[in-house]
Amino acid sequence: MSDIRLNRRTFIQSTTAALALSAFGGGAAFAQDQRLRFIWWGSQERADRTNKAVAAYLEANPGLTVDGEFVGWSDYWTRLATQVAGRNAPDLIQMDYRYIFEYARRGALLPLDEYLGGALSIADFGENNINAGKVDGKLYGINLGVNSSAALYDAAAWEAAGATPPSQAITWDQFAANCEAFAKANTRANFYATADASGLEPSFELWLRQQGKALYNDDGKVGYEPADAAAWFTYWAEIRKAGGCVPPDVQALDTLTIETNPLTTGYAATGFAHSNQFVGYQKLNKAKLVISAYPVREGGQPGHYYKPSMLLSLSAGTQAAEAAVKLANFFVADPTGVNILGVERGVPASDAMRAQLGTTLDDTSQQMVTYIADIEDVVGALPPPPPKGAGEIAFTLTRISQEVAFEAKSAEEGGEQLVSEATSILERA
Amino acid sequence: MTSQTSLGAAVPAGGRIASPGRIRRALGRNAPGYLFLLPWLLGFFGLTLGPAIASLWLSFTNYDLLQSPTFVGTANYVRIATADPKFAAAMKVTFLYVVLSVPLKLAFALLVAMAFNRGIRGLPLYRAIFYLPSLLGTSVAIAVLWRQLFAADGLVNAALANFGIIGPSWISNPNYSLYTLVILSVWQFGSPMIIFLAGLRQIPTDMYEAASLDGASKTRQFFKITLPLLTPVIFFNFVIQTIDAFKAFTPAFIISEGTGGPINSTLFYTLYLYQEAFGFFRMGYASALAWVLVVIIAIFTAFSFLSARYWVHYDD
Repeated sequence: MSDIRLNRRTFIQSTTAALALSAFGGGAAFAQDQRLRFIWWGSQERADRTNKAVAAYLEANPGLTVDGEFVGWSDYWTRLATQVAGRNAPDLIQMDYRYIFEYARRGALLPLDEYLGGALSIADFGENNINAGKVDGKLYGINLGVNSSAALYDAAAWEAAGATPPSQAITWDQFAANCEAFAKANTRANFYATADASGLEPSFELWLRQQGKALYNDDGKVGYEPADAAAWFTYWAEIRKAGGCVPPDVQALDTLTIETNPLTTGYAATGFAHSNQFVGYQKLNKAKLVISAYPVREGGQPGHYYKPSMLLSLSAGTQAAEAAVKLANFFVADPTGVNILGVERGVPASDAMRAQLGTTLDDTSQQMVTYIADIEDVVGALPPPPPKGAGEIAFTLTRISQEVAFEAKSAEEGGEQLVSEATSILERA
Repeated sequence: MTSQTSLGAAVPAGGRIASPGRIRRALGRNAPGYLFLLPWLLGFFGLTLGPAIASLWLSFTNYDLLQSPTFVGTANYVRIATADPKFAAAMKVTFLYVVLSVPLKLAFALLVAMAFNRGIRGLPLYRAIFYLPSLLGTSVAIAVLWRQLFAADGLVNAALANFGIIGPSWISNPNYSLYTLVILSVWQFGSPMIIFLAGLRQIPTDMYEAASLDGASKTRQFFKITLPLLTPVIFFNFVIQTIDAFKAFTPAFIISEGTGGPINSTLFYTLYLYQEAFGFFRMGYASALAWVLVVIIAIFTAFSFLSARYWVHYDD
């Protein structure tokens, strides 16, 4: 390397040649040296684990380069859409159940069926976990982990207050009473039994499902009545009035991140999240947390469901599909990759992988795996993917819940407003 | 592109039509100048004018980044005008912000400038210190700091607690959140202050001397001498600050974490535009919103200039 000297002429010649080459389609000139781009959303913890897994894979597979890129959830979809629009999509794309239909139907993703049984060995995922990545009968996403909604709580705080924490063994009414009891015990100033879940889409959805309703029907229309939403707002308004949940100006600080959840910021003994986030929550909370199911409805239906916490997709335009599929397979079906990633993206869908993972997990991760197994009785079918515009409606739910909480609207008005705004957003989308 | 710009330069002062030879000669004469301007010209055409024209076209389409734009005529503009409650909410918040923050900021800037104009020692140092917030003001770091100051357990409430007052969480309470942003804006009074200070320096001191000899009080001197002679500077500051206030984005984005909440209380126009574009992928609609803002600012500025002839005094 050091022996190569460039004079000005050769320098210009070689740069011109390089420029000319890149003009003729870039990487093609270095075919044996394959390059993969991989984009995902998530925390630093996820990035560390992912980079470590990639490094382990590259050690066994020389000649491959992987450029990883990660951003937070809220910026992720902007960046991905921009890259896809600019025909510059990464080869490997971390995908969400909410968006996979949109991307697949617009031809942005590569169908993976031809690799099944070959480079991609995910047969033991079970039908449900595989189907969660299918669009119109074709496989577009590989399940990266199973999760479900969950309540996380500070067990010591509930115990100190002498009240019963949330679980599938109690009903919503009992939960409300327990929150009130927590408030009466008044163990700490400015500390409440629970976050206010009235503006949280997953909590609302779970509550609807227990009544046999849904956020969205199979035809993509709003699946509940104004009265249902009003009842939900009323339920939380009563807890709020009794001092059982955080006041509205505290809840308004929650921007749906682990860092801003009232549980993490020290205002509430209970918060609501996705189960795979349990690892992240425990990292940021000094108190020992417990993960549990939501309260149930008496004589109601299962509210929870197993959801692919995220999927792994290939861009339709990838030049290195085979290599990308092999790397994906390493993440989900190879003990080395699976053990490095752990359960930070959710519990592995593969039975074999989950079984061998058991011994390598820390206590927090183990709790999460147990949780996923334990809630089987309160788990129902996976709902259809949310329609286009669902993200904006989740936003709207939060805003209207605030209007009710700050008493700018009654619960009934809030219910009417939510259904009418949701309907018009769906019509527009 | 180049021929157009050079054409203007090639028309001689006499107004004669330039022959091709003349253009070539003028171009040759001015070539070094254009060469030096090239970085700016590239930036202007490539990064400002080009995208602006593209957004004008996009404003007549539906475009979600993934599929190609589809032409929808004036549908976006019709919706803005007739069927968008969030547009109305954003307008209300933005106008309230402009109406509150601009006069307060200018008054504050003038007050500090007058204090400085009395010839205090170490003026350059103070001037630099007071100017600093203007440099930092639109930065993300300051907005984050503001979030901490006005949080439920922030510094403001800690100070209030000394007086036995338990303050709310200012930034997350819809009754107060906008005002924290107004205060943030007023705090960045530095650049109008510097301009006011320069304006105050221009007022001849013999005017004040004459007024004192005639027995005019300080208040009377302020209203009869300082303010009238300062009106050109006030006008300039007013126009610039108003345009800035209409375009404010970063503080609201950071303090509400991009939500414009609680209950849309900090939904600045530009934040709403951003949400439509990058939150919900309605690039066409967001482009239309952007052009509506351009028109609103243009109208506002035009009115300012029209009104100026009634209250701005140039000493000529």
